[in-house]
Amino acid sequence: MALLEAQEITVRFGGKAALNRTSLAVEPGAITGLIGPNGAGKTTLFNVVCGLLAPQGGRVVLDGTDITSAPPHRRARLGLARTFQRLELFTSLTVRDNVRVGGEIRNRWSARRFGGFRRGHADAGDEADRIIELTGLGAIADREVSEIPTGQARVVELARALMTRPSVLLLDEPAAGQTERETEAFGGLLRRLASDGLAVCLVEHDMTLVMDVCRTIHVLDYGRTIAAGPPDRVRNDPAVLEAYLGTPEGVG
Amino acid sequence: METFLQYTIFGLVTGGVYGIAASGLVVTYTTSGIFNFAHGAVAMLAAFVYWQVRFDWGWPAPLALLLVLGVLAPLLGALLYGVVMRGLRGTAEVTRIVVPVSVMLGFLALSTWVWDPTPRQPRLFLMFFGADNTVSIAGVNVTYHELLSVVLAVVIALGLRFLFFRTRSGVAMRAVVDDPDLLELNAGRPERLAMLSWALGAFLAALAGVLITPIQGTAMRATDLTLLVIDAFAAAMFGRLRSLPRTFLGALVLGLAGSYVIGYFPADDWTWTGNFRVSLPMIALFVVLLFLPQDRLRGATILRTRERFRLPSVRSAVVAGLALVGVMFLVREILAPTALNYMAFSMTAAVIALSLVLLTGYAGEINLAVLSFGAIGAIVVHHYGISGSGSDARSTLGGYVLAAVVCAVIGALVALPSLRLRGLYLALSTMAFGVFVSNMVLREITERKLPLLHTEFSIFPSGNLTVPRPKIGPLDLAAMPTFLMAVTVLFAVIGVGLVALRHSSYGRRLTALKDSPAASATLGQSPVALKLSVFMLSAAIAGVGGALMTSQLGSANLDRYDIFLSLSLLMLTVVGGIGYVSGALFGGILFGVAFVALQNTFDKLGVDYPDAEGLFDFLARFTTVMPALMGVSMGRNPTGAVEQVVREFGALRRVKPILVAGCAAVAVAYLLTRNDSISNWWFVVIVGVVVAAMPLAAKRLAPAPGLGPAPAPAGPASADGGDEMPLELVGVSRPFSPADRERLDRELGLPVGGR
Repeated sequence: MALLEAQEITVRFGGKAALNRTSLAVEPGAITGLIGPNGAGKTTLFNVVCGLLAPQGGRVVLDGTDITSAPPHRRARLGLARTFQRLELFTSLTVRDNVRVGGEIRNRWSARRFGGFRRGHADAGDEADRIIELTGLGAIADREVSEIPTGQARVVELARALMTRPSVLLLDEPAAGQTERETEAFGGLLRRLASDGLAVCLVEHDMTLVMDVCRTIHVLDYGRTIAAGPPDRVRNDPAVLEAYLGTPEGVG
Repeated sequence: METFLQYTIFGLVTGGVYGIAASGLVVTYTTSGIFNFAHGAVAMLAAFVYWQVRFDWGWPAPLALLLVLGVLAPLLGALLYGVVMRGLRGTAEVTRIVVPVSVMLGFLALSTWVWDPTPRQPRLFLMFFGADNTVSIAGVNVTYHELLSVVLAVVIALGLRFLFFRTRSGVAMRAVVDDPDLLELNAGRPERLAMLSWALGAFLAALAGVLITPIQGTAMRATDLTLLVIDAFAAAMFGRLRSLPRTFLGALVLGLAGSYVIGYFPADDWTWTGNFRVSLPMIALFVVLLFLPQDRLRGATILRTRERFRLPSVRSAVVAGLALVGVMFLVREILAPTALNYMAFSMTAAVIALSLVLLTGYAGEINLAVLSFGAIGAIVVHHYGISGSGSDARSTLGGYVLAAVVCAVIGALVALPSLRLRGLYLALSTMAFGVFVSNMVLREITERKLPLLHTEFSIFPSGNLTVPRPKIGPLDLAAMPTFLMAVTVLFAVIGVGLVALRHSSYGRRLTALKDSPAASATLGQSPVALKLSVFMLSAAIAGVGGALMTSQLGSANLDRYDIFLSLSLLMLTVVGGIGYVSGALFGGILFGVAFVALQNTFDKLGVDYPDAEGLFDFLARFTTVMPALMGVSMGRNPTGAVEQVVREFGALRRVKPILVAGCAAVAVAYLLTRNDSISNWWFVVIVGVVVAAMPLAAKRLAPAPGLGPAPAPAGPASADGGDEMPLELVGVSRPFSPADRERLDRELGLPVGGR
């Protein structure tokens, strides 16, 4: 049973359909890949799922609850977290404070949700230190985020998202800008998170990483799902090959 | 029936003119993304220039029209865009609001400079074709001028429609709105189009100004005409600042509603009818805001944030606060009584400015009417916070607490409709609120029976609000020196509190929301709740500050809470540095002392040296335009002046002799003033010269570190990072230095220094 389901999502910008009855299912304890050429609608789908964009049709269901019309912060409180392709770090804060504020925001709502008993309420500073260590950001923790390289900034986004203790994590091109070595470590981290029960959805262009870590892969092209399945099947799917490489006639 | 028709026609006329003005606002906003707060000011300037050439110099009307509408207005619009507004692309929303506001204040100051606001003879601005030329429509006499206004409104509505949908430039203009970068890639020229649209916008503003002045029928008042921008934006809000047809519709609704209010409200029983009519656009604005759909939450839209505020530690804030209190204690001893008054006034203004630091500097939201909240605070203290009477009357601590609470609640009501929308909408609704308070609340000077309580009550008794000095426990602040110290201490306490707040979890959440609303929301932060809380807190501080300001003055009339003063205070605080508590101090002191003192000085010099009176008169008038010039130039240094000063003085620490010499000079001047050897004025001059000279001298004497230009300034990175910055960020995060070149050469394996 999928933890997060996007069902038949349709989004139109003007007359152009960015998503056309696209569906996606993300399961706990596994990494689900979402790939497709540029402009296929991957980020648009993420925006719909986390509530930054209202779809013209379709439903988003998280853990059995229909959240299609819930505002973004309510979805986050239900366990949805994400990172951004175009980095959305808090540029006035240090790396440590970026991570920490994620926990501080969570402490505000988790305290309220559990009726004032501070269950699940941990010191955000300590927890930030733990997550920073887990994600290997220790060396740059006190730097301003505007000064760190993109690859590491993406890890900061991940760390910040983890501070909300999500059940579903949406990652939008987390490896873009990372070195090969960083990507390798990143893949290991993702596997570890998934094995702890987290449902991860990964949008990524780095095929080595995607094929390596994903259990299931969804392929989008022009707003439609053209294939879905385990890496081996997707890799050899003719529709996928066509979308990525073009039809023989189309070349040239 | 005839009266109905009469009021309908009058409503259509004003609605038509609002429509012309509003469409200009929409055109500029959509093509450049900058809300032109100076739109009404352009209309005002055009009306005054037209009056000058047509009625003062007696030019024929067509020639005057050609000059004003055909040449000056479009030129002004294009210049505004080319010189001022173009540089605002990609800056923070605060900058994009404050700079146009500065332009508006500048135009206003300019017009009072050129055209004496209290002329010996009232300025006559006649209708086109005269007021006697009328046609009869169904028994109602309509002047040619009124007819012309309606016809022009229709022509412009159709013309703009044609322009945007049928002409190449117009279609390109619509493309600018959607995506300027994409248009540029497709060989469009967004810059030129934006300039064109600003010229068009200014033309429409000027046309509206020339048409509406004789219709209003009152004496020409620069401020009233400038506030035409509010009527225009209320109308434009019907079309969400985008749709022109709906904007015209909104303008008609406003015009008709205003006209029917005059026609059918019993003016004799309801003495507030006139005020209500003037406030109608503001009320409509709030109603429209309630119905606007939710904005999309946006990410960090600022592509190149140039503002960068460094956060002082709580400890250094405490030290700075103590230093401020100490300095103020010493300065107080030598101040002449009038100077003492100005200083105390400034400090109350600085307290109000602190509310802006919290709201704008920390949370990135804007309040354009702080002094209106100040007025409400003062009203609350006046009614519920005074004990004793006559010369024994004192305001009580309870009164100030109540003022804070009431202002917080009213702040919540004002902000709530627009908080789910973009920052600009909050700014606009606070501005509307400010004008509403000035027009309706502060004009409630007669006693009324309250509907349920049956007691007589007057909000602003006889147009003069008295608030005596506070007495808190045993501490009587009636004497000005004590009052000054008390306000200074309060400023320091709130200031340290704000720094501590910024260091707290709450402060970090505010920063997160400011930096990226989208990311903050996806972490579970409700944007509305957080914005609401900070707006309430800020309104409370403004309310207390306003009550203190009134208490400093003893009594105040409604001009003290004018919207334009609110705007000046905001602008000066931004110039000082809106992210810093010291920026609030800077803003408050400039607001209260600096310009008044300068102006008085020049006036006095003009009297003392009659030969050079013209020059000093010019300088005195120039000081009225100066704040606006500072505000406009802020586009180049959005972080504020205080930051720059601190950086300059940071270098002083390395050059001890200069520091010692400077301090000694100030100390000597202080002692001389203390025993009355020199006047306050000379003290200010000496301190000013010394302070200005110190960094310059330090730069001369600083030990030169080898060849080449100065060493790389200690930017934020190298200061706290310690280790070397990644090379790809050199030149981005801090300036490129010769050392970096060597390092680059080294890492690329090139012979060092060889080229």
